[in-house]
Amino acid sequence: MAEETATGASLQIILNELEIQRKKVSDIKTKAYLFLAGGVILIAIGVLLGSLMIAGAISGGASIITSIVLFSNSSQKFNDYRHEFKQRVVATVLKSIDPSLEIEYKYGLPESDFINSQLFTQRPDRYRSQDQIYGNAGKTRFSFSEVHAEYKTETQTKNGRQEHWHTILKGIVFCADFNKHFNGLTVVKPKDMGSALGAWISDKMPIFSSSSKQLVKLENIEFNKAFVTYSTDQVEARYILTPAMMERLCELNDKSAATISVSFIGSYVYIAFPLEKDYFEPPVFKSLLTTKSLDEDLSIVRFMYAIISELDLNTRIWGKE
Amino acid sequence: MIIAAIIIAVLLIFGIGIYNSLIGKKNQVANAFSAIDAMLKKRFDLLPNLIETVKQYMQYEGDLLTKVVELRAKAASPNLSNEERLDLDKQLGSSVKGLMVNVENYPDLKANQNFLNLQSTWTESEEQIAAARRAYNSSVTDYNNAIMMFPGSIFAGMMNYQPIAVLANTEEERKNISAKDLFNN
Repeated sequence: MAEETATGASLQIILNELEIQRKKVSDIKTKAYLFLAGGVILIAIGVLLGSLMIAGAISGGASIITSIVLFSNSSQKFNDYRHEFKQRVVATVLKSIDPSLEIEYKYGLPESDFINSQLFTQRPDRYRSQDQIYGNAGKTRFSFSEVHAEYKTETQTKNGRQEHWHTILKGIVFCADFNKHFNGLTVVKPKDMGSALGAWISDKMPIFSSSSKQLVKLENIEFNKAFVTYSTDQVEARYILTPAMMERLCELNDKSAATISVSFIGSYVYIAFPLEKDYFEPPVFKSLLTTKSLDEDLSIVRFMYAIISELDLNTRIWGKE
Repeated sequence: MIIAAIIIAVLLIFGIGIYNSLIGKKNQVANAFSAIDAMLKKRFDLLPNLIETVKQYMQYEGDLLTKVVELRAKAASPNLSNEERLDLDKQLGSSVKGLMVNVENYPDLKANQNFLNLQSTWTESEEQIAAARRAYNSSVTDYNNAIMMFPGSIFAGMMNYQPIAVLANTEEERKNISAKDLFNN
């Protein structure tokens, strides 16, 4: 309790300091926007009046150049502010949940790990990941990172080729050491039109499904409504997905707005949560002291941390420490 | 003439497809049972070690130990039907569980690393057998559906394929749910 109050007090001090930094960034940004708007107006007036065109262009141009300088200045200041926010505020908040938690905000889940997790069959053409948070919850080591993975399609138009980007996942990928030994791969995917059709084909016409993974028909009706399961080993899939584990995954899925994807590979469990919001980003035009954004960051960390106990990963009675 | 030939060819292809899929499903059932068998063997192999370790410490559990030793001897006999093996496993499961519960009374045994390893391997094998039984039941359901539904039922009748009974749920398979119910009460 005393420790918690101490953390709260030190967090308040950090927030007060950073609030000053935030105000500076917000002031420079506001000025930059004003100069930009002023420049555009001056040029417009010059053009409209005709006779004042040169004067308008010069003063408008100068104003726009000033705004560009201010923008670059503000982006430098914003990066410093962002760095401080993540290193100090987020890190302190993490410690209040569990002392083992750390953030490496420049790093995320490596693209190779994302592909190897086999959560998604589509390979990404553009991949970004940051804000990796890692630590232990009891005996279980875990990490999670923000991920934005996209793939590209091209269409031929009159003006040449046009690129289209489609999101594979925007959200958080959670990864933890699983509490049982297994050798193969088991993937639990959201049930949508495509995956339901794929499952039907691999069940009724196995000759047409080239994949080494087989459809696993499980007993839990709720689970089957939300997910389709594939595995390289029918028995192993059921060893992992016990009746209790299926119920826990359903409960976890109910708490997430969009359906989660889960994979079990190489002694790890990976869970992908599609999310709209960018987490762990500092506010610029809203005060740090009153903003709700920190509460949202805190609740997402608590949510991820709680997965370990929700999936009962600390129960290590099956020969894996 | 050509149309009739096409219709016959299509029917033939469908027929072969259904015939093959029924055979595939029946083999799948046999394959799923062999998975249970492999797990049972793994479990029976643990017993001599477990008995040796426990014997040194548990002086007062003679009856339980004798029962486990007897069951182990039965399990080693080669001429057992599938039902007998499963039944033996069930009895072994409950006897060993009885032993594990009494471990509380023997602090030395509880601290024995070898015993702890055996205990976790035993729990692991218990869950693996439960998983193998569920996989078996799933393939039996698949097979039963295929031979009872039209048009598979026609072929099954000709091939003399009979429905197979699914295995009754063991306590291990149900315990997760009942444990939860307990906590809720």
